[in-house]
Amino acid sequence: MADEEGAECDSLSRARSGDAAAFSALVRRHQRRVYSLALRMVWDRHAAEDLAQEVFMQLHRRLSRVQSDAHLVFWLRQVTLRLAIDRLRREATHRVVPLEEGLDVAAEPSESDPLLQRRLRTLVAQLPAAARAVVVLRYQEDLDPLDIAATLDMPINTVKSHLKRSLEELRAQLAAHAHDG
Amino acid sequence: MPMTDDDLEARLRGALRPTEPEVGFAARLAARMARERAPRPWAALRFLWVPAALAATVVVAMMVAHQRELRVEREGLAARHQLIEALRVTSAKLDLAYRGVNEAAQRPATRDSGA
Repeated sequence: MADEEGAECDSLSRARSGDAAAFSALVRRHQRRVYSLALRMVWDRHAAEDLAQEVFMQLHRRLSRVQSDAHLVFWLRQVTLRLAIDRLRREATHRVVPLEEGLDVAAEPSESDPLLQRRLRTLVAQLPAAARAVVVLRYQEDLDPLDIAATLDMPINTVKSHLKRSLEELRAQLAAHAHDG
Repeated sequence: MPMTDDDLEARLRGALRPTEPEVGFAARLAARMARERAPRPWAALRFLWVPAALAATVVVAMMVAHQRELRVEREGLAARHQLIEALRVTSAKLDLAYRGVNEAAQRPATRDSGA
């Protein structure tokens, strides 16, 4: 674990000094996190890849401002969600996520109940952008409300109310679906 | 049976498990970065529109000034012709008046010499 952190620190400082291989190592280490956040927000594989690439390109330009590994993770989460929310706002007038679109996102092979999980992902994708960002940070990144508030630059009470309302909404939608089914 | 909070949260954690991007993400990113870093020939021409616009503005201004000069010259010539015509007409009228006055002045003398 300490070795991993040391390697990360080393990659960061080498990448800051212009080492392309070190920057690639940073990308490979964080691509899963950035891509997953983007995917859960924009709900489209191509758009998520494009967005994730944009995040890393911004990182490359601003590496000198990243002070530590913890700061790097914070920065990646913050920039990914900010770009995703901006993109969703720009596209809000053109795009409505249909239920079936969720099928485009591949199910994990180890899912215990793939249909329910797919349904949950689809419902999360239909939450408003800010609420979706809160839910994704809470359940994908496992952040507590305080860290979510810092990442999204949002009052803690707003975070808690987004979480509470989103869970209620998800539960209601799942119940309605189960009732229909 | 209704789903408990813990159950829903556990299912959400499962549903939102991080996913890897398609294989070759880092390579595609590197290629895109190289593409965007490469000098683009049209990028150098991007600011040429400023001198081009200035030159076009100067040419248009010169053409407008020239047209205006021509118009003033044309109007001046027309005014000159009108003045010459007016002077000619006035001169003709004055000649006519002069002749009339002259003739009137000579008429009594003729009558006197005839008597």
